[in-house]
Amino acid sequence: MEPLYINASPTSPEIDFRFAQHTLSIKGESYPENAAAFYGPVIHSLRDYLAQCEADTEITVHVSLAYFNSSSTKMLFTLFEALNDAALAGKRVCLNWYHDEDDDTILEFGQELQDDFGALDFIDHPVCSN
Amino acid sequence: MLYEEFDEFWQVARKRHIIFFYVGYFSQHVVSAISQTIKARLDTAGAAGPTRRRIFSSFVEMSQNIMHYSSDTLTPDMQDEGQMRRGSFCIGMKGDSFFLLCANPVSTENVERIRARLEPLHTMSMEEIKSAYKKALREETPETSKGAGLGFLTLARDASAPLEFEFVQEAHDPDTTVFCIKAII
Repeated sequence: MEPLYINASPTSPEIDFRFAQHTLSIKGESYPENAAAFYGPVIHSLRDYLAQCEADTEITVHVSLAYFNSSSTKMLFTLFEALNDAALAGKRVCLNWYHDEDDDTILEFGQELQDDFGALDFIDHPVCSN
Repeated sequence: MLYEEFDEFWQVARKRHIIFFYVGYFSQHVVSAISQTIKARLDTAGAAGPTRRRIFSSFVEMSQNIMHYSSDTLTPDMQDEGQMRRGSFCIGMKGDSFFLLCANPVSTENVERIRARLEPLHTMSMEEIKSAYKKALREETPETSKGAGLGFLTLARDASAPLEFEFVQEAHDPDTTVFCIKAII
């Protein structure tokens, strides 16, 4: 499947989904004007990819977001739900969650994800801010 | 004379410890540009990392609220891309804390709906706010929302005191009410 690459903008993250390598990465800040319009197509291609993946595929996800607004939060939750469904269906999904070590908001959102999406292999990566 | 006029204005803002002030139309470009300025300004104001992040988050929620919901719009009301809507926003300091204040006109018929969303937050503890946030995150987005229905909860979560809000009906236009909200960080 063709990779999906979207350049970062000041208010939206870089999307680098290398489906052939089973490596998906989201990086930057996320507060677009219309989060549903931004993430809709991203989630759509992710679902297409997950649907055609072999059952025992190992998928590595890197999420390194310095900030996301409330509407992006909701879309990200939907995106991780799709990954969790894939993990429940037998794929191995490793989610690398990067956040500033003193950013309790992003740390707590990561904990929410672990609570709800237990099938994901969640790896917390606190990053030193200096 | 020119500068005097301007200086008077600046002195008032300074007396009130205003570190940022904007009145006018909010578009995504304006939000993005102000974001850069606020980040730099908070660095020089010496706010700690977590405080800076809460102020920044509250700024984004407030300014995008104006951009999405102010009733004074330059772009068609139904359009949800490239919007430009009018409001006011400021950040100031009072004692050791920061406050963010924003105001925008709304249609008077929407006042009760907005009030119904904000009033319950007023008496909630931080634990209750966080659990309401977790619940809303897992719910369907309300139909009247262009975001996620999480905006006010996010503001309440980032604030260190209950959100204050006020509705002031426009004297010459009873169909329009100014909605004002204040967050202390």
